[in-house]
Amino acid sequence: MANAGNLNAVRETMDVLLEISRLLNTGLDMESLSICVRLCEQGINPEALASVIKELRKATDSLKVAENMTG
Amino acid sequence: MAHWNKFEKDLNKLIQYISGVPEEDPDFQMALQFAWSNVRFHRFLDVDSHKITRVIDGIHEKLIIHSELPKAVSWRRLTDEFLELPLETVEGTKTKEHYAILSLLLALSDSPSNSQYTEKARQKEEVQHDDFDWAKYLMEGEEIDIGPYPDTPEWSEEESEEELQESLSREDSGIQVDKTSPEEQAQIKKAAPHASSKVGEPEARLWLEQHVVTQYWTNRAFKFSHSFHLHSNLAAVWEQHLYNTDPLYYSDERTFVTEAQVIRETLWLLSGVNKLFMYTLHDGKISVRTDIMVAHLTQNCLRAVLEQIAAYGQVVFRLQKFMDEVIGYSSESCPPGTLPMCKKFTEPPFRTYQSFVWALHKYFVNFKEELVSIEKCMITKDETVTLAAVLEKLAPRLSQLKILHKVFSTGIAEVPPDTPNVIRASHLLNTLYKAIIEYDSVGEAAEQTVSLLFSLWVETVRPYLEIVDEWIVHGNLSDPAKEFIIQRNNNVPVNHRDFWHSTCTLYSVSEKTGIAENISDGAGSSCNIDQESSSKQHTMVSFLKPVLKQIIMAGKSMQLLQNLESKDNPGLLMQNAHRDAERKSLYALFLESLQSRLRYRENPESCEHAVPEQQATKESLIKVQSIVARHLELEDVHDPLLAINFARLYMEQSDFHERFSSGDVNVDRSSESVTCQTFELTLRSCLYPHIDKRYLECCGKLMQTLKTDYKLVEYLQAMRNFFLLEAGETMYDFYVAIFDKVKEKESWQHLSFLNARLQEAVAQHYPEDSSRLSIYLENIDIVKKRLPVHSIDGLTLSYKVPWPVDIVISSECQKIYNQVFILLLQIKWAKYSLDVLRFDEPTEAYEKPRETLFENSNWSFEALKSPIRPQIHRMFLLRVKLMHFVNSLHNYIMTRILHSTGLEFQHQIEEAKDLDQLIKIHYRYLSTIYDRCLLREKISFVKEAIMKVLNLVLMFANRWQTGLGVSKIESIEKMESDFKNCHMFLVTVLNKAVCRGSFPHLESLASSLMAGMEQS
Repeated sequence: MANAGNLNAVRETMDVLLEISRLLNTGLDMESLSICVRLCEQGINPEALASVIKELRKATDSLKVAENMTG
Repeated sequence: MAHWNKFEKDLNKLIQYISGVPEEDPDFQMALQFAWSNVRFHRFLDVDSHKITRVIDGIHEKLIIHSELPKAVSWRRLTDEFLELPLETVEGTKTKEHYAILSLLLALSDSPSNSQYTEKARQKEEVQHDDFDWAKYLMEGEEIDIGPYPDTPEWSEEESEEELQESLSREDSGIQVDKTSPEEQAQIKKAAPHASSKVGEPEARLWLEQHVVTQYWTNRAFKFSHSFHLHSNLAAVWEQHLYNTDPLYYSDERTFVTEAQVIRETLWLLSGVNKLFMYTLHDGKISVRTDIMVAHLTQNCLRAVLEQIAAYGQVVFRLQKFMDEVIGYSSESCPPGTLPMCKKFTEPPFRTYQSFVWALHKYFVNFKEELVSIEKCMITKDETVTLAAVLEKLAPRLSQLKILHKVFSTGIAEVPPDTPNVIRASHLLNTLYKAIIEYDSVGEAAEQTVSLLFSLWVETVRPYLEIVDEWIVHGNLSDPAKEFIIQRNNNVPVNHRDFWHSTCTLYSVSEKTGIAENISDGAGSSCNIDQESSSKQHTMVSFLKPVLKQIIMAGKSMQLLQNLESKDNPGLLMQNAHRDAERKSLYALFLESLQSRLRYRENPESCEHAVPEQQATKESLIKVQSIVARHLELEDVHDPLLAINFARLYMEQSDFHERFSSGDVNVDRSSESVTCQTFELTLRSCLYPHIDKRYLECCGKLMQTLKTDYKLVEYLQAMRNFFLLEAGETMYDFYVAIFDKVKEKESWQHLSFLNARLQEAVAQHYPEDSSRLSIYLENIDIVKKRLPVHSIDGLTLSYKVPWPVDIVISSECQKIYNQVFILLLQIKWAKYSLDVLRFDEPTEAYEKPRETLFENSNWSFEALKSPIRPQIHRMFLLRVKLMHFVNSLHNYIMTRILHSTGLEFQHQIEEAKDLDQLIKIHYRYLSTIYDRCLLREKISFVKEAIMKVLNLVLMFANRWQTGLGVSKIESIEKMESDFKNCHMFLVTVLNKAVCRGSFPHLESLASSLMAGMEQS
């Protein structure tokens, strides 16, 4: 893997990205952001990924609402 | 494609992270499929760096227009910075991947202009990252002791500051991990710096922190003052290692605590506190907080240890909750077993559970004392207390907790909520009992366990023993909560005939189904129960099983006795009460013998010490009692009831005292030493003898009362006198009158006639029985009626048996008696009709009347010469044969069977120990005579043959009387052959039976009949 210098650089990148993400109010935290970054680096289409994430969020929310209704 | 696999892993993670659905869930699979197909087959264009740049510019412009200048500046700088920074796997800057990531974030962005944002925090981090070389710090492991000192606090400061920002939301609760949404978190982060500055302000708080304890539960940042030795910073080292090897490693917010704090919270948890910082209570489950850390252990390690403790905490919590539930609905101050105090509640208290809770409570008091002593030890700081040491010290207690929980969950928690109390109680007792036996068989290995369980059991069994005691001593089955396995059927009054058979219902719990089954407990209650239990494996309170019969017998006897006594002598109750004051309860006796037994083995001195003390208290009691009585007399109050009540009151108090002081200690002592002795043996020697003794006492007394005051034996004799014709001359008068009427061909089936004859006959010899005896006729079927011998079948003799003797001589018994009575009458009838035949009758009827009877009876040779003579001769011969047959049958039944069986019966009655046994003996006697009189359905062919002969006899007698003119030689021959056939048949059958040897009593009958055969 990367050496120590690179490690720090990458960490800084992640920090910057997290800031950007927060600024844009994307709702991603460090963990999910790092997964997304990894996926993007592997060449996945970002817009497709974004749509997937949005759909998943929607579905999860509706599931929770349903649970609250029944529960 | 290889990289699709990598995708899949990351996608899995992502879906899990976003949706929170576990991988096994079908929803998860759906989500994965959806994501997979969307990612692989989409309609989006590839990333266009120009387009992204344009969008970035657009956002910048937009932010400026919205007059969010700081944001705009941050935005510009951040994006530029990002594009210049390297990625993990991709070389170079401003690559396609950079834009792809930006594109993703842009696509996910949600009105950036409206959201609040400050960049401050990140910049600080950035700075710290830049000037700190962690790798170097770690690589030089050897020199760590003298390592860069100033770095460490800085690092921890960073950590704690992060916490500070993240976790203010739980400042108030101190328990819950707050999972706020990202938006909220962002807001909180913004608010954090202001809040943190406020928290530290009050001086008092600072003082407290310095002098008493750091407020770790508020998540405030604080510094550790411990050493920087490698061993005490293991967690930090490990953290650093993770940080260095994984660039995307992201450490959660943590709260640092010290081991002392962990120990203290652990002790509190085990003592039943459930509002703690490290252990959280959620939905009745205790779990370990995820974000705590100690400096010298990794998070996982600490967690593993604490989770074990949490499991025990859970047990304590469950038990505590159960105790609260049970105590909750009675009062706090009400110790179990003292019924009067609890009576004010509408629902009667469930005493078995209460006692169990009481036992648990005692255990927990002990346990808490131990915990407190450990805590004290910690406070004084005399010795080092570590978590491991505490756990080791508590290990026996913890294993005990485990056992308690096992017992609790099988004995109480698993019982469905709407089960009746009786099942709950017996199930609990059984569970304890079984557990004890189970561990007892292990031997010394489980000594502690057995003693714990035993002490629990001894306490829990208390209400049961008290109920038993009350029942077998006073005859009332007082069980308001319906928890005892035997319950009184209230619809059967004591002075009813059915009382003995159906007074109680025995509940037994089937182990497999757990459903209660009522065995209505009848006369043969014990045998009934035995059968049931053997076939279905019932487990009604196992420990009582060996003495259950005794308990039932004693209880019922006592109840009956009480009733008899109160009816006869109302003052007797008073005396009983007097006596009662000096009596010790069954439970007390049990405890006493338990102690003496166990202590006898253990150390004899302590026994000597304790017993005189008890005696002394007892003596003083009696003294006080007499003082009270004298005092009352002085005031001219002659009220024995009052005196008794005073005495009782005192007794109760002393009982109370005993229970709380010496009693308690003793039980615990005994439980300590109930070691290698088998538990059942202990019971056998300590509990059962008391019950047995009591059983013998009351049953003996009842038998005595029944025999002397209620003349049971006399009634039994009366039954034999009249039904079994033992009072020969009396009954002779009665039946001969009937036979004469039949002989004269007069109608005899008038009730008035029959009763008059009966009364006349009985009144002469047994005047007291004449009013009880009566006779009536039952309809019999016409087919049978045609045969003369069955014409008396409908006669029914009845004897009015007064209560309570009718418990023994029931109407069913009378029926059997009556059947024997009819058989006897039939034989007597046949015998009588043969006996009264006169030799002159046939000749008289045939020829002209001769001169004298004497001449005729000496049948002369001339007479034989006439053609009619041989017929008469044959008649005479047949008569003698029939007489022989009837007489042997009569002898057999009257002497061999009825008399000898009667003697045996009398003997057994003398020896009967309880009423149940007596009833059984009586039944057995009846069934024996029923059998031996050949009335049993199975051998009805024998009876039929006999009946045929008897019938033949009656017909023969009839012919004889009406004269031989009617009877042709053919009819005589027919009678002869009929008789011969029946005779032959009987002889063969009886001989066979005799040869088999199974019916020795038949021997005499068979041989006498044989003799008759040989002559013919």
